[in-house]
Amino acid sequence: MTGTVLVVDDSAMMRKVVLRVLKMAELEFDTILEAGDGSEALELLRTNQVNLIMCDINMPVMSGIELLQKIKVEKLAANVPIVMVTTENSEPQVRQAILAGARGYIRKPFTVDHIRNNVRPLLPA
Amino acid sequence: MSDSTLELKSSPAKNFLSTENITRADSTVKEVFDMMFGLEIKVLDADLDDSGQIQSDDKTAIVGFSGSLRGSCQLRINHQAAYSIASAMLGGTPIAEGDESLNDALGELCNMLAGGWKNGIADFASGCALSPPTIVSGLDYKIHMARPSTKLCRTYQFGPHTVHLSLYKEVGAQG
Repeated sequence: MTGTVLVVDDSAMMRKVVLRVLKMAELEFDTILEAGDGSEALELLRTNQVNLIMCDINMPVMSGIELLQKIKVEKLAANVPIVMVTTENSEPQVRQAILAGARGYIRKPFTVDHIRNNVRPLLPA
Repeated sequence: MSDSTLELKSSPAKNFLSTENITRADSTVKEVFDMMFGLEIKVLDADLDDSGQIQSDDKTAIVGFSGSLRGSCQLRINHQAAYSIASAMLGGTPIAEGDESLNDALGELCNMLAGGWKNGIADFASGCALSPPTIVSGLDYKIHMARPSTKLCRTYQFGPHTVHLSLYKEVGAQG
């Protein structure tokens, strides 16, 4: 698969895990961008075109939900699927993320199948 | 101080120590170890406070609960177990001595356990927030809590390693 993926998580280990599992799900990208919080992600999105964003919610500086809101306000990453990957999965939180622009929601812990089944349909064939 | 201890006063909290909460803790631990690490883990009957094993557990991860549940999730393991977990998290990639990934992995593990446990309990799922993880290295420390707390302890084993999980709920908080 060609294109760029942006993985946003304050845990460097979890960013590696997400990238490893994407690869295992046969969702490999030419270019990988990583951000440790929403603010860093926003900076990257202002200067880079991406094809997929995998984003945690609970992060310092700027949360995943705040990032979604900023993306909307600044009209960045238009039509780019954003998938939240988080330990938080209560109904209000999922609803808040979807309303803010998330297209997918994956709870940690996750399997390769979870990633494949939730991310693959969001990407062009 | 010669060893690490958790100084907490206990109080009755039948709901917090319910079979449902304990079962939920066990199933969360099994789920996380299976799905994220591909490791089989089993419940041990050992008593956390009386176990000599805990004296060698030099890594502690702490995630705080706030909101509808006030307290914390604490995980204690030894150095070698932490290496095994971090390596498994990366699909078997060896972790170098002193690599910060070790603490990162332990924090994420504790975060997933805290989140998985509270998300499975209706009273806590939506109104309880998690703090970022804190990692303590070493044995010579004490953790003091602002209020007396009720403690739910479980001990698990994967391979030759043990994992001690403690869930604390401050007295007076809901649940």
